[in-house]
Amino acid sequence: MTVLDNPEQLNDLRLSVLEHLNNRRANQAVVLIGMGTCGIAAGASEVAEAMRKELAQRNLNVKVIGVGCIGMCVKEPLVDIQLPGRPRVTYANVKTDMVPHLVEEHLVNGQIVKKLALAQMVEDGIQPEQELDTYQNLPFYRKQLRIAMRNCGMINPEDILEYIAADGYQGLAKALTSMEPDDVIEEMKDSGLRGRGGAGFLTGVKWEFCRRARGTPKYVICNADEGDPGAFMDRSILEGDPHAVIEGMTIAGYAIGARDGYIYCRAEYPLAIQRLEKAICQAHEYGLLGENILGTGFSFDLHLKEGAGAFVCGEETALIASIEGKRGEPRPRPPFPAVSGLWGKPSNVNNVKSYSLTPQIILNGADWFSKIGTEKSTGTAVFALTGKIKNTGLIEVPMGITLREIIYDVGGGMPRNKRFKAVQTGGPLGGCLPESALDTPVDFDSLTQAGATMGSGGMIVVDQDTCMVEFARYFLTFASAESCGKCVPCRIGGQRLLEVLTRIAEGKGRPEDLNEIEYISTQMQQASLCALGQLTPGPVMASLRFFREEYEAHIRDHFCQAGVCKGMFQYEIDEVKCPGCGLCLKACTSNAIIGEKKQPHVINQVNCIQCGACYEVCNLGAIHISPRVVPLVEVEEAVD
Amino acid sequence: MPTVNITIDGKKIQAELGQTVLQAARAAGIHIPVLCDHPALPPEGACRICLVEIEKQRALQPACTFPVTEGLVVETHSQRVMAARKFTLELLISDHPLDCMTCDATGDCLLQDLAYEYGVAGDRFKGKQHHYPITDPNPFIQVDRNKCILCRRCVRACQYINGVEAISVFYRGFNAYIGFGADGNMQDSPCEFCGSCVAVCPTAALWPKMSIGKGRPWQVKKVDTICSYCGVGCKLTLHVKDNEIIQVEGAWDGPANRGWTCVKGRFGYDYVHHPDRVKKPKVRRYLLEGKKKSRKGNAWEWVETDWDTALDITARRMLEVRKEAGASSLGVLASAKCLNEENYLMNKFARQVIGTNNIDHCARLCHSSTVAGLAISFGSGAMSNSIEDVTGQAQAFFVIGSNTTEQHPVIGMRIRQAVRQRGAALIVADPRRIDLCDFATLHLQHKPGTDIALLNGLMYIIIEKGWADEKFIAERTEGFEEFKQTIQQYPPERVSQITGVPVEQLYQAAEILGTAKPMAALWAMGITQHTTGVHNVMSLANLQMLTGNMGIPGGGVNPLRGQNNVQGACDMGGLPNVYPAYQPVASEEARKKFEAAWGTPLSPEPGRTVTELIPDILKGKTKALYILGEDPVMSDPDTNHVRECLEKIDFLVLQELFPSETEPYADVFLPGVSFAEKTGTFTNTERRVQMVRQAIQPPGEARPDWEIIRDLAVRMLAERSLNPDAPYAGWDYASTSDIMDEINALAPSYAGITHERLEKGESLQWPCPSTDHPGTPILHTKGFTRGKGKFMSIDHVPPAELPDPEYPMVLSTGRVLYHWHGGQMSRRAKGLLEIYPQALIEISHEDAEKLGLNGTKRVRVSSRRGSIEAEAMVTDRVPPGMVYANFHFPEASANELTIAALDPLAKIPEYKVCAVRVESLK
Repeated sequence: MTVLDNPEQLNDLRLSVLEHLNNRRANQAVVLIGMGTCGIAAGASEVAEAMRKELAQRNLNVKVIGVGCIGMCVKEPLVDIQLPGRPRVTYANVKTDMVPHLVEEHLVNGQIVKKLALAQMVEDGIQPEQELDTYQNLPFYRKQLRIAMRNCGMINPEDILEYIAADGYQGLAKALTSMEPDDVIEEMKDSGLRGRGGAGFLTGVKWEFCRRARGTPKYVICNADEGDPGAFMDRSILEGDPHAVIEGMTIAGYAIGARDGYIYCRAEYPLAIQRLEKAICQAHEYGLLGENILGTGFSFDLHLKEGAGAFVCGEETALIASIEGKRGEPRPRPPFPAVSGLWGKPSNVNNVKSYSLTPQIILNGADWFSKIGTEKSTGTAVFALTGKIKNTGLIEVPMGITLREIIYDVGGGMPRNKRFKAVQTGGPLGGCLPESALDTPVDFDSLTQAGATMGSGGMIVVDQDTCMVEFARYFLTFASAESCGKCVPCRIGGQRLLEVLTRIAEGKGRPEDLNEIEYISTQMQQASLCALGQLTPGPVMASLRFFREEYEAHIRDHFCQAGVCKGMFQYEIDEVKCPGCGLCLKACTSNAIIGEKKQPHVINQVNCIQCGACYEVCNLGAIHISPRVVPLVEVEEAVD
Repeated sequence: MPTVNITIDGKKIQAELGQTVLQAARAAGIHIPVLCDHPALPPEGACRICLVEIEKQRALQPACTFPVTEGLVVETHSQRVMAARKFTLELLISDHPLDCMTCDATGDCLLQDLAYEYGVAGDRFKGKQHHYPITDPNPFIQVDRNKCILCRRCVRACQYINGVEAISVFYRGFNAYIGFGADGNMQDSPCEFCGSCVAVCPTAALWPKMSIGKGRPWQVKKVDTICSYCGVGCKLTLHVKDNEIIQVEGAWDGPANRGWTCVKGRFGYDYVHHPDRVKKPKVRRYLLEGKKKSRKGNAWEWVETDWDTALDITARRMLEVRKEAGASSLGVLASAKCLNEENYLMNKFARQVIGTNNIDHCARLCHSSTVAGLAISFGSGAMSNSIEDVTGQAQAFFVIGSNTTEQHPVIGMRIRQAVRQRGAALIVADPRRIDLCDFATLHLQHKPGTDIALLNGLMYIIIEKGWADEKFIAERTEGFEEFKQTIQQYPPERVSQITGVPVEQLYQAAEILGTAKPMAALWAMGITQHTTGVHNVMSLANLQMLTGNMGIPGGGVNPLRGQNNVQGACDMGGLPNVYPAYQPVASEEARKKFEAAWGTPLSPEPGRTVTELIPDILKGKTKALYILGEDPVMSDPDTNHVRECLEKIDFLVLQELFPSETEPYADVFLPGVSFAEKTGTFTNTERRVQMVRQAIQPPGEARPDWEIIRDLAVRMLAERSLNPDAPYAGWDYASTSDIMDEINALAPSYAGITHERLEKGESLQWPCPSTDHPGTPILHTKGFTRGKGKFMSIDHVPPAELPDPEYPMVLSTGRVLYHWHGGQMSRRAKGLLEIYPQALIEISHEDAEKLGLNGTKRVRVSSRRGSIEAEAMVTDRVPPGMVYANFHFPEASANELTIAALDPLAKIPEYKVCAVRVESLK
């Protein structure tokens, strides 16, 4: 390989790789296996191994490629097979024992295994298969628009050539050769891109602050310390398309006048780190990082810094402190990092997604990007869709789509036809919205107005079986444990708030506790040092706002209608609905259910330990939750 | 500084750009409460008590970090602000023990004050509270985490002030707490117990153990005075209750220390109250019984007596000796621990009353070579600059032969601050890897006794590279060409061979020294205590002239004086060759002046030094000695020889606090008093004269030393007739202020330094020739005292005693952080002794292995003169082939081994190099 001395060489390389890939596709069958952390966790490594073994045994000339996560995590492991000249077909939930069959039928006999196939991908110039849904038409995919994640699951993230073939580094080449740094900033401002870390500050304006700040050197920092429970947007991008982030950071470095950049990635993402290291190394080899990039005279280097597992290091000043080798704690702003950041120098901190969107914005222009989404929230939003939803996974949708579309169309609704209760956006510091807010458009301002936040992309759906007090308490437990302890309102306030919530969840709530929650929350928002402390009360405040009656039921009636808070409800069998099938009796571990076959069963509340096994197994809805009548004490003992 | 217009609470204010809202408010007299903020520390923004409302800012902002900008509008006490502050206090107090009734900080607690101000009683939140055990076993600081509000003042003090970073925050959220080292005890951490953390703690979370239960803030009398340990001259505030010092704090307005102290200054004061204090005068029985001196039987036993008897006997015996053997057979030793006024009296006593110039003191043993060397190069021999400008402005420090952080800890602290806070370069040249090396840009680990070669080698490169300050050399110096010839003999390769310092390090060091400006040279005993001590000092003078670093702030020659008033004792004529203010006894003009003042003829002959007076006992030349506050058995080289001499003396008077190691040889013991029991002045290393104030009454019948000297002089002069017209012939001093008046009249550099000015708060550095003169922070700014600075051509000469097959290792000696001098005071400070309870011999890992020090760590160190047994401290502080011992513990004092080889000019012994043998003891 050669160092690329100018943009023409980059283009030549792109064309030659494309030609090579097209040739390969025309002559060789390809198997693509989703090898993101999600895929690997679901068994993709074993599947890949089985695939290679099978192919070797049969002496088949098939190219096996590991790709990043395509987003359908619920269907992992995903295996795509493409024969020369034929569409790429996706198989879902592939187990190792299915591999010989797939190879035999699809690769050897050329027959798609329709009962296992999920969909085929529509591609130009390739005749689609009959009677097989297209990937692009899947409900999960139909409303998506992939920019930040456009390469995830499509290219081999460990091969820079595949990225280059997919227009990789063209945005950088364009910026370096035909734009002044100020032009890049103007383009970013015109695009309307708002920071995807959650605060939604205009990225171009942020870059401009840093460019105008006095002091050298300047630094570009990528915040890849994704710590929200249930969020994995940044991880998937880093695993699936690391070069997009590298390219975006390099463009930012050019725009603000930086020579060095840091990627602060949590150490819990070993695969992302490994792929980033490899990608940085490859970018160096091609002269796309380091001295004199593409012969333009611009030099830029990237350094990786692993976080040590503190949630608060996602806060930019804490992140900077951590890179400096100090205890990861925020400091008051001003001065903002744009003025005094890493080692006291002007620094620009953006999220992974902001950087991965950048090359496309530069390449396709601000106009193209700003037409996507809404007027004030342009472009797309990436969400990790989790919780009580059918299609858990990673999605990218245009801003302005409603919550309902995401949950019911993309997400496929609740499993087991449970009733939707709330959706939490913005992670553990965000807020939840009730059913009445489902038609809220998903953009920075609408979500905030509705009482939640955009956050960095966590979206958790909960159904009727979730207690909102416990739900809030869960996030509060997380946030207060992750408080760095620097400022008093967050350090002690979070603890005191948690104590109130715990009291309520344990049935010891007092009528004045709701006022107490409001008092502590309001003051924490007012007085805390950083966003962590200011937003810690978010989930509590939102759930109290929309589900106040649940809180009141806990305090007044000692009743948890979701059947979550131990000792504050009891399971009862509806004798009209119960056919006496015996499933619940079999599931019961504490001999609490009695009843003759084909006769309605009854629960002995003294023996019941509220494990919920009967409730889970009853498909007829015969078991319901009622206020508890037997004293709590015995239950507590039994639970302990 | 450009200003901006801001509005605080409706008041229009001009603030300096760069100020925070808090600073601007303070300057305008507007009160904003703080907890984590401390004026001496960088702001933290952690506690949220100083939150204010700022127009156009969505959230409340901390005043301590928010910068002022044009047009800023601030509300410091709006309803929103007050509610937030109250909330923060409610939270803090909800996890705080409400034991104010028994808490030592009551009345001196920021949290308590704020709770009162905001009406927060502690019943708002009832939740989980921490109950940390109070178990840190260190002797000085009680760590009560239950009272900690996590303001992190201590963390910042440790990080930014002392620079050791022993304190940090552990864990997160509600479980965060302050811990030490790797979350262990303070003692196991890098903590040096400077107590800066205690000084800034707003509650009783960190509290001096020695003060617990001793008194309430409003019950104590606070007395400002000067520390009695090293020569830095830290201003301290003593808290006194019922005639007892119950706590010591650094005074924030102390020019040398700015509020900070070291462990000795803050926690080493209890020696003052030690039961060993001698409370009545005592004499040997033979004297009481009028018999001949005998060391046998009960003739030699001590008998307590009254002052009249003791003084009468002393005066009679000294007059007898003078009559029998002449005035020059007597000698006095002044004291670097005593007041200027007392040293002046000792000088007058020797010269006027006895009629000899045989006066000296332990400056002989520490900086006599500095005084002599600088006098030759510049014309006067003292630290040229001030602590404030050196530590505040030097771009580079050259610390050679000074273990600054242990010997002059507060200066060491301020060097660390300069390195850490403003990135100053630091070059340490020392055979040992001292603690300061951790902060050094470069450590030149040269062989002991090769300082001249090292300095010449550095100057060779500076000249070669064209970094010499030619303008300065041309305008202000002489002798450069000859000097340059000598320097040409020291190319880096040769220097590297002599010193053991790699050539590239020489180049690196020379570049920093030659190009960073201002560059300050600092040194101590590592330079002076050599047979080449004077030459070493002159080489440093050469370096500072060569680089043009004389007479400018942040530069200069900065010998660090070792004892609280060693500078003053020299200034006051406690030397055999000079009257007060360095007026030579050999000068007829000076002699006439003092003869006229004191009303009696004076000896024109310079006297003998302490390193001559004591050995001369054996020669019969010294018959009697009057020793004030010195302990030659511990401090002089070759202890065995010293003991042998003192045993043979005719008459020895010792004026002391404790029965020291010299006490067994004394005929009369006169109990003097400590620094806390008298009023007068000390002069610190930077020539600053500061008030020492009486805080407590002396124990028993002990008397201020100046009174004892006075009463002894009066008795000895009883039958003499002095010129009645001489203005200062008499001894009728009613106070040390009277003595200072006499000093003002006779010592020109002290002419303007009066008690009255000092009591008014003026801080004066000599020379201060008149009462309207502001003092002189920096010497040699325009010309040198001798006119032009003189380059001296100096050649390397090896030390007197080098290792040989019989004694194969080099011994170097010195002090340690936790002790001081002969240890008479520091060994009687309970905590200091607990931390460092015995003599330790520092030895390298390599040598320890060779000696087979596995399991057993006791060693015997022997020289040609004696031998000691002590525990070995195996460390990388000393290089292979070298051991280091201190002289704080009589049972294993380094001076049993040291050699009395003297610098020919200054007569300073070569404490830093002698040959020894080390054996492992089973």
